[in-house]
Amino acid sequence: MARDDADDESIAAVSRDLYRQGMTDGLPVIPPTEARVAEMLRGTDTPDDAVIGRLGNDDNPITVAGLASNAVMAGCLPTHMPVLEAGVRALADPDSNSIQFSVSTGGWAYQWVVNGPVRDDVGIAGGTGAYGPNYRANRAIARALGIAYRNTAKIHPGEKDMGVMGNPFKFSLLLGEHEEASPWEPFHVTAGHDEADSTISLAGPNSFVQWEPAAREAAAVLRGMLANTPPAMVGGEQQGGDFDQTITYVLCPESIDLLADAGLSKRDVKRYVADNSAIPVDEFQKGVLWEGALEGYHGRVENAQVPQIRGPEYVRVVAGGGRTGQYDAVIGPSIGGPVTEGVDYPDDWPALVEEYGAAE
Amino acid sequence: MSQQSPDEQSLAEINQSLYEDGLTDGLPVIPPTDERVDEMLRGTDKPRDHVLGDLGNNENVITVEQLASNAVMAGCLPTYMPVLEAGIRALADPDSNSIQFSVSTGSWAYQWVVNGPVREALDIETSSGAFGPSFHANQTIPRALGIAYRNTAKIYPGEKDMGVMGNPFKFSFLAGENQDASPWEPYHVTNGYDEEDSTISLSGPNGWVQWFPDENNAENVLRNMIENTPTSMRASSGEDLNATITHFFNPYNAEELEKEDLSKQEVKEYLVENSYRTLDGYEEPRDDTGKVPPRQTQQYADTDAINIIAVGGPGRVNAIAGTSIGGPVTKKIEFPDNWDALLDEYALEENWVPTEGFYD
Amino acid sequence: MGLVTPSSTGNDTEQKPLTPRVDSLDGKHIGLYDNGKPAAEPLLTAVQEMLAERYPDATFEWYHVEHLNQIKNDEEQAAVTEWAEDVDVAIGAIGDCGSCTKFLTWGIEFIEDAGTPGVGLIDEGFELDYQSNAVERGRPLRYKKTPVRCETTDLERVREEVTDEVLDGIVDELTRPLNDKERADPVAQ
Repeated sequence: MARDDADDESIAAVSRDLYRQGMTDGLPVIPPTEARVAEMLRGTDTPDDAVIGRLGNDDNPITVAGLASNAVMAGCLPTHMPVLEAGVRALADPDSNSIQFSVSTGGWAYQWVVNGPVRDDVGIAGGTGAYGPNYRANRAIARALGIAYRNTAKIHPGEKDMGVMGNPFKFSLLLGEHEEASPWEPFHVTAGHDEADSTISLAGPNSFVQWEPAAREAAAVLRGMLANTPPAMVGGEQQGGDFDQTITYVLCPESIDLLADAGLSKRDVKRYVADNSAIPVDEFQKGVLWEGALEGYHGRVENAQVPQIRGPEYVRVVAGGGRTGQYDAVIGPSIGGPVTEGVDYPDDWPALVEEYGAAE
Repeated sequence: MSQQSPDEQSLAEINQSLYEDGLTDGLPVIPPTDERVDEMLRGTDKPRDHVLGDLGNNENVITVEQLASNAVMAGCLPTYMPVLEAGIRALADPDSNSIQFSVSTGSWAYQWVVNGPVREALDIETSSGAFGPSFHANQTIPRALGIAYRNTAKIYPGEKDMGVMGNPFKFSFLAGENQDASPWEPYHVTNGYDEEDSTISLSGPNGWVQWFPDENNAENVLRNMIENTPTSMRASSGEDLNATITHFFNPYNAEELEKEDLSKQEVKEYLVENSYRTLDGYEEPRDDTGKVPPRQTQQYADTDAINIIAVGGPGRVNAIAGTSIGGPVTKKIEFPDNWDALLDEYALEENWVPTEGFYD
Repeated sequence: MGLVTPSSTGNDTEQKPLTPRVDSLDGKHIGLYDNGKPAAEPLLTAVQEMLAERYPDATFEWYHVEHLNQIKNDEEQAAVTEWAEDVDVAIGAIGDCGSCTKFLTWGIEFIEDAGTPGVGLIDEGFELDYQSNAVERGRPLRYKKTPVRCETTDLERVREEVTDEVLDGIVDELTRPLNDKERADPVAQ
């Protein structure tokens, strides 16, 4: 991608130029010069031209160099590359259903959860304010993966991305699980990885609700989870069983303490939510992707109740947030995934981490 | 590969340094050089030392020049200055309660809605994807206002900003009202402004729920509005601060309501009249009168606490944003004398739709 | 100073021709392709009723994709093409969301692959989406915008909204001769 106007290389000019071509999110980007991309590529041992995966309708390939270019633009450090490569593998996994949640009218977001030692290595936050506009690694990694998807799949708002409202957190919903604050096994272990592994997990939700439990007791935490899951968030098997629709609860350390002290395991919490999710049949909102979601319920008994969440397997629980107060969140419904990919490091990882740090 | 020039080296360094000082959101910023700030100031006729308002616990002043510096960092064009100035006046208005929703554990966001001719002048998106990470003005304006608030009030995450989770749309939640597609009077007219005025309105919600009616008709639209309002969201206007909920309507569903001859006010009345929820022991009224509390309460206490705003493109997805613990406040946007010339100079055309020439 | 492109080199899709149209729908065997979206069946039902009235000798044959995303499967794609070989023209519905508009263009493409002229019915708000997906498939696939709002499944209401003008448009897309672009005429490129 040669540029002919050598004087017009400032960050402002390049940002505007790339914006006009539909290659950014509208915010300033670091110009992906050859030198900067070369530096970014220090974060990987994979060859520059290796295809990490194929994205979008047309299965367009994304190479390591293409990813690195997006990473530069988004403001990533070379140490973010291993996480980004795993993230692209998650996007390329058909089980993530990423193409559907990238283009659907529902206005979906890329929800990322990072687990394992890589969080400390690169400064991915999981405590107070982790989801906010605060931490470089959280923001830049989520943004890099978002624009990398857009630029590879070539989807643009109103053209192929038909999100009616647009999602204000589409490229900014990334959390390092606050594993240290939870007595339960981490998210990636539940997903079948070893605790020592580092992973990134992808889901595609469109709503984000936060609340303060009404009392400092386990029952209030559970009740808050049920009461704040709107009927638009349905959990179950959809599209003829090709995908699961799941709901993620991000519970803060204080809430997890209350639940754990009451003797509840993560599995118990999921089961409680599913078992108690019954709503009147006429409040059930199946969504566009469902056929026969109410099979076996309709017409049997007047005003029968149906489970909004079909079982604990459609619920995810993640530890997140700090101890500055007690707020929990529900994020959902995800129309694909979750898929979890392991993060692989380059040989000189400790030296790179030392060099780039996780500076605040 | 080209040599890296000293200027480019410093771009990374400047970004790192601004981030470490807590002056950004973690994403790349454009360094606010004297030259760039001077250029930004072309967008206003006010002197650079003019005080726009004071923000935060210590009532720190923000001048036009400081706003311009944050605007440069966020990636704004000089033509965005009039909108930013009005936004600062909204933040500085005690009725906005901006200090509380900037620091509270509930992780609130700045919700911005723009009305009037300025939307077209600045390409502020109102249709498909308006809230998404896609449009220059929609993304850079809320970012500039967010970091201007942070840098003026000097609130940093985990220090004064105690948001437990952090809000993933705190600095990215702005759309223009889709006035053309709305059957109702525009939002700023409802708030007492003239239709030809341009305004920006501020609220502070922490939740975002997207939903769509299970049948495309007025009754289902109305019913699902209430059903999808999570229990933790409450709307009531009061002597001091309002707790408000905003319903963002897509044009298709607004059209269904119009077919039934429902005015905006009647929709609000429907919500109030039909929003009874049973209390479950956790949610007693806060004003303890010593009487036995009622069994039911209205989730929407009065019509003044409800905002109805048309946003979005084709499709039937709507959104609920709430509970806002301040505002809404609406401020009129005032333009500099050379406005038309500036608009010509800084037009930023999107050129990303590749279908031209393929169809006749 | 060079920049490294952040976008995929992509696939430079070769432009392919559309299938020649028919002279008239009179007496034709007309295919009705339901892409699995709930609003597709009522819309096609209303269209079928009007066509049957206008062309008493026409006959109809349906194809239903059970779930929207099944069109991604090779067997389903082959089945659509095989079905389309047995009809003279085909009308597909519906493009009224992001994924279903994309999958509708795919369906129309498989119909064209069978040598059968096809037209996709879309909610008018999804025109650019349909076009850009068609571009990606390498064919300026034909479509007709309908005033039926997305996700509308009430057949009575759909009947009211499918007017003679809509039907004229559908017929036109299946009978109007191809232009240079649609023939992918090398001279016109």
